[in-house]
Amino acid sequence: MIGCGSPEGGDDAAGPLAVRAVRARVGRQVEVVETGSPLRVLDLLEGADVVIVVDAVRSTGGGRAPGTLVRAKADGSAALPAELRSSLSSHGLGLAEALGLAAALGPVPRVVFHGVEVGTAQTGAPLSPAVEAALPALVDAVAASVEEASG
Amino acid sequence: MTHRSVEVPVVARVEGEGALHVRVDDGEITRLELEIYEPPRFFESFLRGRHFSEVPDIVARICGICPVAYQMSAVHGLERLFEAEVPEGTRELRRLLYCAEWIESHMLHVHLLALPDFLGFDDAIALARGGFKEAVERGLRIKRLGNDLLAAVGGREVNPVSPVVGGFSKAVSARELRAFLPRIEDALGEILQVADLVAPLEMPVLPRDAELVAMTNPLEFPMNEGDLASTRGRLFTAAEFEEVSTELHVPHSNALHSVFADTGLPYVVGPLSRVVLNEAALTPLAREAATRAGLHLPTLDPFASMAARVAETALALEEALRLIEAYEPPSPPRVAIVPRAGRATWTTEAPRGTIYHRYDVAADGTITEAKIVPPTSQNLRHMEHDLREFLPGVLDRPDEELTRLAEMVVRNYDPCISCATHFLRMDVERA
Repeated sequence: MIGCGSPEGGDDAAGPLAVRAVRARVGRQVEVVETGSPLRVLDLLEGADVVIVVDAVRSTGGGRAPGTLVRAKADGSAALPAELRSSLSSHGLGLAEALGLAAALGPVPRVVFHGVEVGTAQTGAPLSPAVEAALPALVDAVAASVEEASG
Repeated sequence: MTHRSVEVPVVARVEGEGALHVRVDDGEITRLELEIYEPPRFFESFLRGRHFSEVPDIVARICGICPVAYQMSAVHGLERLFEAEVPEGTRELRRLLYCAEWIESHMLHVHLLALPDFLGFDDAIALARGGFKEAVERGLRIKRLGNDLLAAVGGREVNPVSPVVGGFSKAVSARELRAFLPRIEDALGEILQVADLVAPLEMPVLPRDAELVAMTNPLEFPMNEGDLASTRGRLFTAAEFEEVSTELHVPHSNALHSVFADTGLPYVVGPLSRVVLNEAALTPLAREAATRAGLHLPTLDPFASMAARVAETALALEEALRLIEAYEPPSPPRVAIVPRAGRATWTTEAPRGTIYHRYDVAADGTITEAKIVPPTSQNLRHMEHDLREFLPGVLDRPDEELTRLAEMVVRNYDPCISCATHFLRMDVERA
């Protein structure tokens, strides 16, 4: 279970915060990592059966209300949605690009992605009210994925 | 009057996000703005009122890819102000930490950001699928070595080991470090293969004039310690940094552009600056890697930065080997600190170049003011300067090629545009 994001990045803290809460509930069943870099996800795919990634997202054109939860899957046959390919992470490589690269280099495990639409990703800002309100539901959804993967 | 605009809405494959606006009227560039979507630097205000002991953990989060650079500048500056003497062996361990960060950062940039550029691929995936799978795997392998070494020495999320003011919270064991030796030995061979890959690359040239700035140190290739120098003969200390270099706020960008206070002109920090100013301190393997990568020193051509990164990776690997073989854990791993009021200043050499930290500290050890000048900030104006020099010679090219060339000029600096923001843009159906 990987929480992507920056704890000081406003709503960008959603990933790390969510995995911390999930870890408290179901942590024994899963290896937990927090990272600010999607590229790190690439390193972590090795040896995993299932990788659950939690991240803050921002739809282009602002089509989605802040706090909206999203979910996507990728396995050998289906890649993450192309929209996740954008290189808008602080590491120059978006999550889907990192996974795409891993797939280009070898077999990849099943990936389950949980996201929450950001309100603001400004450094130093707290969670926006919408994302803060959505956090419990996000945690529930992620925990369910962990249970499902471990079952 | 012919008018042509080149708008690169997103400069792909730099760290973060950026845009480039260029306007050409009758063959002349009338507007050139590199727009950086970097948020204001909240961390400096975030640090106000914090106890000095919290600083390393806080600043480590400013940059997800170069936390060591931020931590090292902070702890050294504060230790000097507090006149703290760190335990024997701390210096070496900190240098090892920095080696790991250079390895990780440079290999990422070379293989995933720069190579697709110079080989004509859209991105690293296309590169891997386009016959360069082995090269990408090798690059990631060396990068991973840097990551793992960094985690072993400097700690990770669940790892309590970490740099503190006064040393380390815990010193990694010699046994754990020696376990890295076989991988480092392998990487020493592989980095020369990387050099051979880089050498024949067709890349633009930009023999422009520039003043390069980096730290120098009579004892070693600089990472954590040294004074600052430039290719035009400047010599100054970290304590003098804010007199020598000043920051300008530009209307089109959220970031700040550094220039020399006396001339108002920009300068360049980074691997090329370091290698040019510290050529004599290159380790044997670094020298060989530099030659094989096609680096002819001295040079001011920004496109030589790729070869400089390869040379620095070789140096970092060689230094890591030496440091690990001689390693004895500092014991105790840290010293007690007695704070005092004053100003702490320090520079270190982050992967992207010199980084400056300043902390004003109250008698009780709380931070009253902080100022951090990252390397990318210092390079921003020079990126625009390079574009103004470079683009006129290629204006006749079609827009798409022109865009790619402009992107390449910016990518030479491996800019870290939004050091602490991270988000995904997506358009999928609601789950």
